[in-house]
Amino acid sequence: MSEAPPLASRSEAPELERVDETGTREFLAFRLGQERYALPLSTVREILRIPHVTEVPRCPEEVIGVTSVRGTVTTVLDLRVRLRMPCERVTARARILLVDCWGEPIGMLVDEILQVYRLREDEVELTSALGSEGSGYVMGIGRPGSSSRRRDASGGARVQEVLILLDGIALMKEYRS
Amino acid sequence: MSQSEDDRARAEFLAEAQEIVEALSRDLLVLEDANKRGLTLPETVNDVFRGVHTLKGLAGMFSFERIAELAHVFEDLLEALRLGRVPMDGGVLDLLFEGAEGFQHLLAGAQRSDAAVDVDVEGLLARIAALEPGAASQRDILSDYDIDPNILSVLTEYEEHRLRSSFEQGRTVYRFRLQLALDAIDTSLAGLKERCSGVAEVLSYLPSSSAEVKDAIEIELLIATRVSPAELRETLDRPDGLLIPIERKRRDSIAPRMDAEAGMAAASLNQAAPEVEPSEDTGSLRSLANVVRVDIGKLDHLMNVVGELGSLRSSFVQLVERLRAHSTDRELIFEAQRIQRGFQRHLGEVQSSVLGVRMVPLSQLFDKLAVIVRQLARDQGKEVQLVVKGAETEVDKLIAEEIADPLMHIVRNAIDHGIESRDERERLDKPKVSNFGIRAFPRGNHVVIELRDDGRGIDPSLVRETAVRRGVLSEHEVGDMTPEDLMEVIFRPGFSTREVVTGISGRGVGMDVVKTNINRLGGAVEIASELGRGTTFTITLPVTLAIISALLFQTRGRVMAISLSAVREALRFEDYALRTVEGREVLDLRGETLPLCRLAELFGLSDGKSVPERMLRTATRRRRVHGGEAQQADDAEVFSSEPPVKSRSGAGFVIVIVVGNRRLGLVVDRLLGQQDIVIKPLGRSLSSVPGISGATDLGDQRLVLVVDAPAIIDEALLGRWLRPSLGGQA
Repeated sequence: MSEAPPLASRSEAPELERVDETGTREFLAFRLGQERYALPLSTVREILRIPHVTEVPRCPEEVIGVTSVRGTVTTVLDLRVRLRMPCERVTARARILLVDCWGEPIGMLVDEILQVYRLREDEVELTSALGSEGSGYVMGIGRPGSSSRRRDASGGARVQEVLILLDGIALMKEYRS
Repeated sequence: MSQSEDDRARAEFLAEAQEIVEALSRDLLVLEDANKRGLTLPETVNDVFRGVHTLKGLAGMFSFERIAELAHVFEDLLEALRLGRVPMDGGVLDLLFEGAEGFQHLLAGAQRSDAAVDVDVEGLLARIAALEPGAASQRDILSDYDIDPNILSVLTEYEEHRLRSSFEQGRTVYRFRLQLALDAIDTSLAGLKERCSGVAEVLSYLPSSSAEVKDAIEIELLIATRVSPAELRETLDRPDGLLIPIERKRRDSIAPRMDAEAGMAAASLNQAAPEVEPSEDTGSLRSLANVVRVDIGKLDHLMNVVGELGSLRSSFVQLVERLRAHSTDRELIFEAQRIQRGFQRHLGEVQSSVLGVRMVPLSQLFDKLAVIVRQLARDQGKEVQLVVKGAETEVDKLIAEEIADPLMHIVRNAIDHGIESRDERERLDKPKVSNFGIRAFPRGNHVVIELRDDGRGIDPSLVRETAVRRGVLSEHEVGDMTPEDLMEVIFRPGFSTREVVTGISGRGVGMDVVKTNINRLGGAVEIASELGRGTTFTITLPVTLAIISALLFQTRGRVMAISLSAVREALRFEDYALRTVEGREVLDLRGETLPLCRLAELFGLSDGKSVPERMLRTATRRRRVHGGEAQQADDAEVFSSEPPVKSRSGAGFVIVIVVGNRRLGLVVDRLLGQQDIVIKPLGRSLSSVPGISGATDLGDQRLVLVVDAPAIIDEALLGRWLRPSLGGQA
């Protein structure tokens, strides 16, 4: 209602606002199918267990339906459809991420929540630097543990985990009305 | 003052200023109307004066300098009008209207914090200055009458002006002397004034000191009237008062009665007068303080809370039922039932008062429309007489806000294109002044607004031609359309253009937007037109959006709701004969043909479980086990108070919905009963799902979609053109 922060005025630049003095950003990592994705932690309002979702006819395919989050009707998207991944049955590990979409929360179904990563600047490759075109949803690639300092600490022999960093705003831009 | 406080104060000022300017425009229309009939309404001029004066003060306080300057200029003009230094005529009225527009303009600029918005205050000032003909040089009529100079000496300039013009209009002025109890003097005077209204004008009241009675005061009123003394006496209803006419002087009569009594009266008059005058002001202040301006968001919140209480009530009822079934403690059961009934009753009261608070009279809107009608007619040199009826009809504030633009659009169209020019009307032998009627009246849970002009009307053959030319419909499609159906074509996207000479066209937005906006409110718009005789738009709106009675039903396993105000009846499907007419299923209903629509097919609902249910089933089942709660999977359990009505053969039910004059039978599987629901919007991200007006929470965290009856009727009866490019259905 009226006390909602003026999100419309929020910068539309890639969400890298949570940068602390050491240049570390926080990402919430989750699993979609076999892949590991992450969203900037600051864009995630809440993580929900799967509530009852009501189907809405005549919606884009990626819209699973609507659910009531403390009295507010909230749209739930299937991120797998959005990212053109095959849809498997949802398991008990699945969760809904409530993400801020211009002042209104939108739910995104993910298969499993993994963990929060604090990524240093040199652990993130921005897509802009890669020069690839892609869907525009991907902000970059995160390689936790790739930082030279961390490698020093851990011996450097670990299998590298790769996170696909999503741009929350780009993901939802169709839903801004 | 902090930034937000500052902003709030500004918003508060802008809202109040807006109200004042609206009242101002309204009063000006009244004055104009009176002026045409040769009347002057001093009270209304005073109201306008007071409004502008208040505006000036407020604007000065919040440093809106241009508004204050404009107000100042107008205050001067109104002062001159009040005192009769400037006669009320068309020119002055135009200036006043221009001033009101100027205020609107400046306020709109202030609202947007757009400093560039300005109004030519100096130009207006010069034109006002040109109006005032200097000091009146004519002979003073007052010198012809035998008036006590002591009275004249204490009259304000305004009162003197009123006295003078009363004589000029040939009215008789009486002095009415009576004693009033000191403690009730205000109410007695107000009562007297009220009794006089329409019959006589109380010009002034002056305390006189001649009375020696304790706790009372002798007052002398100056009353101007055309009625006989006897009639006036009866009107005043104070047999104890003394009525003395002020006579016309005989030539060279010298009658100054400067006796001691009069001298004393004059002395006390001088002191007392200022105390009497403000009493009028305190009256208006009091009424202002009785009104609270509330942010509509707060009311929405209140409404939400009331909605939640409604859900609690349902649980409460179920709890009492369980208690009745399982407990043998009759006293406890009785007590629980008593409390539950009390709760229900009070909740009902809270619900209706919250709804009542949100209601505003349509006059708020119609007043604005009247100003627009006047402006447009003046700009185009057309003479339009606006007749407004039922302006006191109330609707939800939100509806009043949302309907403003569509109404404005219809009015604009009617005057721009529907109503002919004066010459053309004369040629057609129509009355020179055209008649534009706006009528509102309640009908059940709805409010109907009718806008009727007596202009050209719409030519169906031109509509047909335009629709084909613009590619809205094919030659084949328009071929077998009735003239009535053709009228509906006007609301289709892509139809409205300026080229449609017949009357309905738009500036930027078309009639399709008008229709969409009205439908979004759960309303309907219909058009009827007679070529050469005029066009009537009939808008049907729900009285409120917040809480509605709904019929819950099930189709292909999904529970949905539909506003009961659109439902006429529900029938068992198999009891009626189904026929197919031109590929469309219809039902013979008591001799009438009812077109049918299978909702599940219209919505493309797949068989069996809904998509989210299929997909999420595993997760949900697991959660149930985890939570250990006895959650029922069957939708029917949600409405446990009554068992769902199930049709015998599974053929289903037909819900007959009526919007405006169109009817449609919705074929559904089961009826689940009636419930009061709070409709919530689907949220901005899904705001434009055709056929769905929102969702409601039935209190168990499950959302139920609410079907948009007007949209469904349109879609089913008029084809698929409403459906936008949203994909995704089966």
